[in-house]
Amino acid sequence: MAADTGQQHPISVYFWIWALLFVFSAASYTVDYIGFQGYMRWALIIIFMMLKAGFIVAIFMHMRWERVALITAILVPPGALLVLVALMAMESDYTWATRILYFGEDPAPVPLPPPSH
Amino acid sequence: MAVEAQVPYQEAIEVHHPHSWVTKYWFSQDHKVIAIQYGITAIGVGLVALVLSALMRLQLGFPDTFDFIDPEAYYQFITMHGMIMVIYLLTALLLGGFGNYLIPLMCGARDMVFPFVNMISYHVYFLSVIVLLASYFVPGGPTGAGWTLYPPQAILEGTPGVDWGILTMLGSLAIFIVAFTMGGLNYVTTILQARTRGMTLMRMPLSVWGIFIATVLGLLAFPALFVSAIMMLLDKTIGTSFFMPAISSMGETLDYSGGSPLLFQHLFWFFGHPEVYIVALPAFGIVSDLISTHARKNIFGYRMMVWAIVAIGVLSFIVWAHHMYVSGMHPWFGFFFATTTLIIAVPTAIKVYNWTLTLWRANIHLTVPMLFAIAFVITFVMGGITGLFLGNVIVDVPLSDTYFVVAHFHMVMGVSPILVIFGAIYHWYPKMTGKMLNDTLGHIHFWVTFLGTYIIYYPMHYLGFVGVPRRYFANGEMAIIDSSVEMLNQTITVAALIVGIFQAVFIWNLIYSYFRGKDSGHNPWKATTLEWQTPETPPRHGNWEDKKLPTVHRWAYDYSVPGEEDDFVPQTVPQKAVQAEPQSAT
Amino acid sequence: MAEATGWRNLQVVDDWAADVEVFRGVPWGKAMMWIFLLSDTFIFTCFLTAYMTVRMTTAEPWPNPSEVFALEAFGVPVPLLLIAIMTFILITSSGTMAMAVNMGYRRRRGPAALLMVITALLGASFVGMQAFEWTKLITDEGVRPWGNPMGAPQFGSTFFMITGFHGLHVSAGVVYLAVVAWRVWRGRYEKQGYDIVEITGLYWHFVDLVWVFIFAFFYLW
Repeated sequence: MAADTGQQHPISVYFWIWALLFVFSAASYTVDYIGFQGYMRWALIIIFMMLKAGFIVAIFMHMRWERVALITAILVPPGALLVLVALMAMESDYTWATRILYFGEDPAPVPLPPPSH
Repeated sequence: MAVEAQVPYQEAIEVHHPHSWVTKYWFSQDHKVIAIQYGITAIGVGLVALVLSALMRLQLGFPDTFDFIDPEAYYQFITMHGMIMVIYLLTALLLGGFGNYLIPLMCGARDMVFPFVNMISYHVYFLSVIVLLASYFVPGGPTGAGWTLYPPQAILEGTPGVDWGILTMLGSLAIFIVAFTMGGLNYVTTILQARTRGMTLMRMPLSVWGIFIATVLGLLAFPALFVSAIMMLLDKTIGTSFFMPAISSMGETLDYSGGSPLLFQHLFWFFGHPEVYIVALPAFGIVSDLISTHARKNIFGYRMMVWAIVAIGVLSFIVWAHHMYVSGMHPWFGFFFATTTLIIAVPTAIKVYNWTLTLWRANIHLTVPMLFAIAFVITFVMGGITGLFLGNVIVDVPLSDTYFVVAHFHMVMGVSPILVIFGAIYHWYPKMTGKMLNDTLGHIHFWVTFLGTYIIYYPMHYLGFVGVPRRYFANGEMAIIDSSVEMLNQTITVAALIVGIFQAVFIWNLIYSYFRGKDSGHNPWKATTLEWQTPETPPRHGNWEDKKLPTVHRWAYDYSVPGEEDDFVPQTVPQKAVQAEPQSAT
Repeated sequence: MAEATGWRNLQVVDDWAADVEVFRGVPWGKAMMWIFLLSDTFIFTCFLTAYMTVRMTTAEPWPNPSEVFALEAFGVPVPLLLIAIMTFILITSSGTMAMAVNMGYRRRRGPAALLMVITALLGASFVGMQAFEWTKLITDEGVRPWGNPMGAPQFGSTFFMITGFHGLHVSAGVVYLAVVAWRVWRGRYEKQGYDIVEITGLYWHFVDLVWVFIFAFFYLW
């Protein structure tokens, strides 16, 4: 554990990423502010989210400069989670469909306005 | 292959030698002491679960005989028995016990990378056991929800222990997971970053491989249980509705609405299926080493064994819903999960073939560890085959919730790992204490346990086929229950009691041999792996000589190598100069 | 450890085949922290998956987060104003943390400790704002873990559970940062090196990372 073997990168890199994270956050905020809906909203939000997550992991957590052995060890196992999420999304659709089928509630729930104070 | 002259960082570290009794035997940071602490605690709590199973068998074999076993108590027995056996005995003993003991010794390290956290891990585990056993002293007793704790029933009136028992159970699980995470991080990091010179991953004994992958599974699967335990605690205590749909219970409408009981089942089994392999993989690894050592032959297909362990580990995350075929989940899932389940049988079968082929024309020594190892292979094949039945939706549906399922999982993840644990204790006891276990007592213990197992569980398959449902307090005069069931249940109970009582022979052997056993020497089994090459037996704190870790020159299975004087070549012996590396994995 | 690393030299097979250590040149503490974060990823993903499931399965309307979390600024309700500020604060704290790591490896322990303290203070202010957010939600909007006047009761349950668990992580991180910053300041790591700052930083960035996902999935969905 010699002291000089650690991750050393120019400070300017961190400022750049910092700025980028602000930009992406603002962008995804704007998506909500403008009020995009449907696939457009989803695509934009997830793209900005993945960009932010990617920069945090790659630059701030130095994953970009790690050896591939470490990168694979950390990034491959969450694949199991993608299976879980995908299957649970299918399962949720099915559960929702059966609920509507048997209990017959509003098939397109609309958010109610918040209560007035 | 990149074997470079790197210096293991543990080469020069100094271990902190304890001075007082407390720091030496209670708050010890020595992985061997922690391993034995884990082992004793796990066996102790396992004996509680054994007594519970005996009580259940008494009720099933001789209903209406024992007044103190009412249905509530019976469900509490089931729940506590299942949870203790799976989590607090098997997981803790295989990973906390054997993992702790074997990893640093077999990898050639002085200790775990973070001994302090390793020590805390045991004490948190101990706390979780205390909280679990406290269930018996809270009002209402322990929960009777079954070890799967399915909501909504687990937290509704009518289930025993609904007021307090469920809280202690969920709390204990959460504490256990914290303990496991602290230990598990140590095991994984030690294997990855603290091996000795020459010890490549592909030279590690299969025991370490099994424990390694099982620990990785644990670190990735226990979170799902942790999350579901927390959400169920919230449902129970402050009335959230994660798992609770709108419900009428005992004539009144409850405040719950909109939750998804299926969500719990998915999360639970996303943990629960890897858990099966958390228990099985260390057993696979250890039994490979037992077979190879006592058959004086290299393990057949070492690399295939390693990749099979890895493949099972990966696949175990995408088969979970085969426990839920009758739950009312998405109808397409049956196809997906049946397919993945049958795929996972392939690497498992590879392992069984390789064990068998290792025994083929080997110089088999029928020592007690070897007997247990062979018993494991047979039992595991039995349990595995019935797993193929249950993995198919169409066969599973009629067999669900019958004694066939009980027989299946007891054979495959109850008895099988237990047989390996017995074999492993007979195998490594000499290293832990410097004394051999008594051979005669060992043989008695083995034969009663092994044959008893089959008298207990074979008839259960039949009971399942004739439709006896599991988890029933008593079958009564149900028309579907065949008249043969009563006699079989009595037979099973008698056999179970005998097997249970004979475990006392084993416990007595452990105690007796510690004081009166004959000295084992450093390497009684003439084994090749590093833990048998320590300068002292039992190894001291720090394991190896000061400032010098052993160097590994070959794989762990050089038994009966042609041209060598002995029939085993320890991993520390250099290759002969003229000889190319014929067997060492590259 | 001086040779070039990165995607161009894929020594991945060599590394896994090597003896002594798989992650070459990585101190064990850092490897351990990465593996812990991997495990923690599974915890948070399970929480978020549970949230997704209850949200997708509920037949009741889901409250619109950008209205629920709106804040009055200059007399007009601005959607998600507080959340935006919290996000910026957490990102900023990640930036200061990254620079603390850099200072640590340059062996400038004063600036390193100072930056870590700033990071911890930003984290503490994040928790404070979260407390404010919770209070507003409970008192003004009437949201409770077991129900709310706007629709599905799971809205409150998942919100308090997920942000609560994240908030606990931030709080633990603040304590962790404070302890390490104190030790850095006292010069405890002069001999063994400043890997500990990077390890602490990994944890802190992870907390930020989780927030990115909560922000996208809870507030923007």
